[in-house]
Amino acid sequence: MATIETSSPAALPAAPPARPSEPLSVRRFAGLLSILGGLALWELVSRFLVANSLFLAAPTQIIAAIYSLAKSGELWPHIWISTVEFVLGYVIASVLGILVGMAMAESEVAKKALQPWISGLYATPTIALAPLFILWLGIGIWSKVLVVIFLVLFPVAINTEAGLRTTSPRLIEMLRSFGATPRQIFFKLSLPSATPFILTGLKLGIGRGLIGVVVAELFGSRAGLGRLISQSADAFNMPELFAGVVILAVAGIAMTAGFSRLERRLVPWTRD
Amino acid sequence: MSEAAKLSIKALSKRFGDLEVLRDINAGIAHGEFISLVGPSGCGKTTLLRIVAGLEAASAGEVLLDGRAVRGPGGDRGFVFQSDNLLPWRSVFDNAMIGPEVAGRAGPAEKSRTRDLLKLVGLEGFEDYFPRQLSGGMRQRVNLARALAIDPQILLMDEPFSALDAQTREIMQTELLRIWEKGRKTVLFVTHQIDEAVFLSDRVLVLARRPGRIQETVSIALPRPRTLAVKRTAEFVAYVDRIWRLIEDDVRASVIEEHA
Repeated sequence: MATIETSSPAALPAAPPARPSEPLSVRRFAGLLSILGGLALWELVSRFLVANSLFLAAPTQIIAAIYSLAKSGELWPHIWISTVEFVLGYVIASVLGILVGMAMAESEVAKKALQPWISGLYATPTIALAPLFILWLGIGIWSKVLVVIFLVLFPVAINTEAGLRTTSPRLIEMLRSFGATPRQIFFKLSLPSATPFILTGLKLGIGRGLIGVVVAELFGSRAGLGRLISQSADAFNMPELFAGVVILAVAGIAMTAGFSRLERRLVPWTRD
Repeated sequence: MSEAAKLSIKALSKRFGDLEVLRDINAGIAHGEFISLVGPSGCGKTTLLRIVAGLEAASAGEVLLDGRAVRGPGGDRGFVFQSDNLLPWRSVFDNAMIGPEVAGRAGPAEKSRTRDLLKLVGLEGFEDYFPRQLSGGMRQRVNLARALAIDPQILLMDEPFSALDAQTREIMQTELLRIWEKGRKTVLFVTHQIDEAVFLSDRVLVLARRPGRIQETVSIALPRPRTLAVKRTAEFVAYVDRIWRLIEDDVRASVIEEHA
């Protein structure tokens, strides 16, 4: 009878249906096994099939290269410079992107004026402008920061705008019925309901920002992981080239994973 | 009744462009009275409620609450929505506190009052739950507590149980009466369920459609407190039957129109 009272603690999201043909042990370790298998295959190919460190480096050689680069101290300035470039560009682009997105959501004029530029530049491979930025700003960090800004700004702005625009009219009405001011509606409703979208934009920005740093450094730089990669390529030092790539990949994976954790904490209502 | 009216609606009409939605509505609601508006879809009952809430402006006429004309939403009216409209990132307690918070009065007194209200609506122990963890009936309880948290002069309820299954709806009707008996707020309740209106109300305003106007006011003389058993009495059935006869033709017309 009292159907309302039956639902008690947190309804947990249902697990995907189990497939009896796939034993639990296999399902649990499929991802891990795939990675280990891939690495083993890579190791074998580079040791026996290619067997030439001018063309390919084995995982073990890459790890050894990272170790020796770290030990000699050569690695740290590269990581530091790339980190500074990424963080500066990413933070500036995030703040600007969120502000631009807010302006576009709030004002029809701002939207009409900015939309073509935002959409156009988002679709343009602006990374190709890196040589131009280096010409303007020199081969120091600021040309790279500018590239990162160009790559991160637009997805953040577009997602912020979309998030603010999808604010539920029913919820706006609810707040209005309590006499809420437009300012209260923005801070108590629009902003929190746009947060999942903004986080998605910021997450997209991580990968794009990393690409920006590396490619801009390839075009011309004194230090950075991109510099390490181009140096190693010039010297046909494949283990060190791959060392740079692997460090970038790990950074990208770690940041994206960190972001997903942050999402689960900040916007738990979007889960199920 | 009319001189001491809590809420009076005077010569109110509403048009949306060429469409006349409400024509010359006059009604007075006494303090502590429970009034329902019933009628077929398209009779403007929800529009009338929204005008009283201040969410919509009347085209002519006025709404007076305690003698003062209503201009826009205000903390003297608590609105209970058809869909619960809870904020998914807020706990039950924080959702119920949104009204006092918006009014800038979220002090310890309001917080303890809200806690008491959540207990009253049967949500004690669920204060820290989030909307996604609640059933439809429980969400509507939060919806009700949220409207009561601003201690309004009148409660405006817009088909609050229409999205619930039949059994839950019956439980919620008795719960609403239990809560109402505690404080005896003035209530204006919109529904398309005739039996719901008869069960809850002191008076039922029956609306006709195109344009929406008050066709008849039916006083419900069933003794209070009422339990679900009253629904099986001959008097109850007679009331439902009488109201149904009043709107039957209109309902048929609206059904045909919707399917045309």
